[in-house]
Amino acid sequence: MIELHGVTKVYSNGAVGLNNVSLRIEKGEFVFITGNSGSGKSTFLKMLYKEVDPDHGKIVINNKDITKMKKRQIPYLRRELGMVFQDFRLLPNKTVYENVAFAMEIVGASSREIRKNVPIVLGLVGLSRKARCYPNELSGGEQQRTALARAIVNNNPILIADEPTGNLDPATSWEIMNCLQEINKRGVTIIMATHEREIVNTLKKRVIEISNGQISKDVYEGGYDDEVEYSQIFI
Amino acid sequence: MKWNTLRYLFKEGIIGLWRNRTMALASIGTIILCLLILGMSYGIGTNIDYLIEQMETKFGITAYLKEGLEAEEITQLKTQVEAMNNVSEVIYISKEDALKSFSEDNGDQSLFMMFQEDNPLPASFEIITSNVKEQTALVEALNQLDGIDETVYFQNETASFIRIRNTVSYVCLAILIILVVVGLMLMSNTIKLTVYIRRREINIMKYVGATNSFIQVPFLIEGMLIGLLGALASIVMITVGYDWIMQKVAIMSGALSGLALVPTDNIMQALIPTYLILGVGIGLIGSAVAIHRHLDV
Repeated sequence: MIELHGVTKVYSNGAVGLNNVSLRIEKGEFVFITGNSGSGKSTFLKMLYKEVDPDHGKIVINNKDITKMKKRQIPYLRRELGMVFQDFRLLPNKTVYENVAFAMEIVGASSREIRKNVPIVLGLVGLSRKARCYPNELSGGEQQRTALARAIVNNNPILIADEPTGNLDPATSWEIMNCLQEINKRGVTIIMATHEREIVNTLKKRVIEISNGQISKDVYEGGYDDEVEYSQIFI
Repeated sequence: MKWNTLRYLFKEGIIGLWRNRTMALASIGTIILCLLILGMSYGIGTNIDYLIEQMETKFGITAYLKEGLEAEEITQLKTQVEAMNNVSEVIYISKEDALKSFSEDNGDQSLFMMFQEDNPLPASFEIITSNVKEQTALVEALNQLDGIDETVYFQNETASFIRIRNTVSYVCLAILIILVVVGLMLMSNTIKLTVYIRRREINIMKYVGATNSFIQVPFLIEGMLIGLLGALASIVMITVGYDWIMQKVAIMSGALSGLALVPTDNIMQALIPTYLILGVGIGLIGSAVAIHRHLDV
């Protein structure tokens, strides 16, 4: 589903984003990307939705080499990827319903499809009652759930989440994680960058740790940081 | 683009216009200002033209006939002159007519009686031309004719009117060009500001996978609507304003010895399409330029 082959990115100021990274993520996987700030985590995610292009190597998504993709093809790539961000990125002048419907308007869905799909997805994330609210009338968790609904309304096969719980309190974070697990069960591949140890340690998913632009750990059913866990045992 | 999508984008454009109504009003205002100034210079220009045209009929050529021509010769000569290029009307003024109007002009009827027997004034043709600019050529042709003694015409007066008319049309053209440029800049600035205010929104749209055209079209529609509203408002203002001036002028028309202004309908016939094209054009091009520069995320 997603493949990286020897991907390297060095920024113009000399900072290394990624250094010769190769990896493979299968369909339906739930992958945590961890690592310190500046480790190359964001570079990795940005490359997937082509905000950043690699200097060397190639990235294949759904059997398409996106490194060779033309600029005007980028919107069509992004329609395959649902995206969720730490700062929600909802359109402030549209209601919850309209924000989700917007993703469908973009792909040219008919108004009948929109009227049918949007309520279903809003029900899935538990926001049916808030459909008419504007983002500034919602709590952080509700805003993030709106963003989740938008990310999956077109049946996008892949969901990229860049620290989706970064702005939320622990209880709300778990709400979002439950939503994400639910979405994952429906067959959506999820790639989530995060700093939250507790979430990573509890869910026991695949964990890819990036440090200094390289993969320093890639464990299935892993924890956030094994060393920390060992040291905790010794204390 | 699908019909569905287009309808959605059109709706978005209208919503955007309403949401940024303060800004939109400012740009509508500038477009109205441009179009009004344009309308005024056009109105003044056409009216000067129209007045010159009316005066053309008053500044005719007077061709004096030689003494002692028979009535038949005169009729023949008149037909000959009427057939010439650039002649729209020929009026024969006999020696008696000339003397009558001479004595009337001087307000002394005794003059007529005094000179009736031995009239010193020559008979003449009053020739009205269809185009003042080519009067000189006509005068030369008239002088070639047998039976015409001398021609008199208001060379200086016609020349200066032609000069005024030319100056006015050049000035109008210059004003028009400057206004279109200013209008475009203001329009582009307004949309640029709108794009700037909404750049976060645009960015979000791009993350969700909106194509550039999907993002652009609502802005273009917004610009177009601003132009259209500006044009419609200007049309109403000019119609009302010009009608009012027409009425004022009609009241003092007596003092202007029968000269009139171009009727409102004629002015509006030319202005309405110009306004619509200019307004919508400025709106569209202005917003297109602004978006083009600012859409690259």
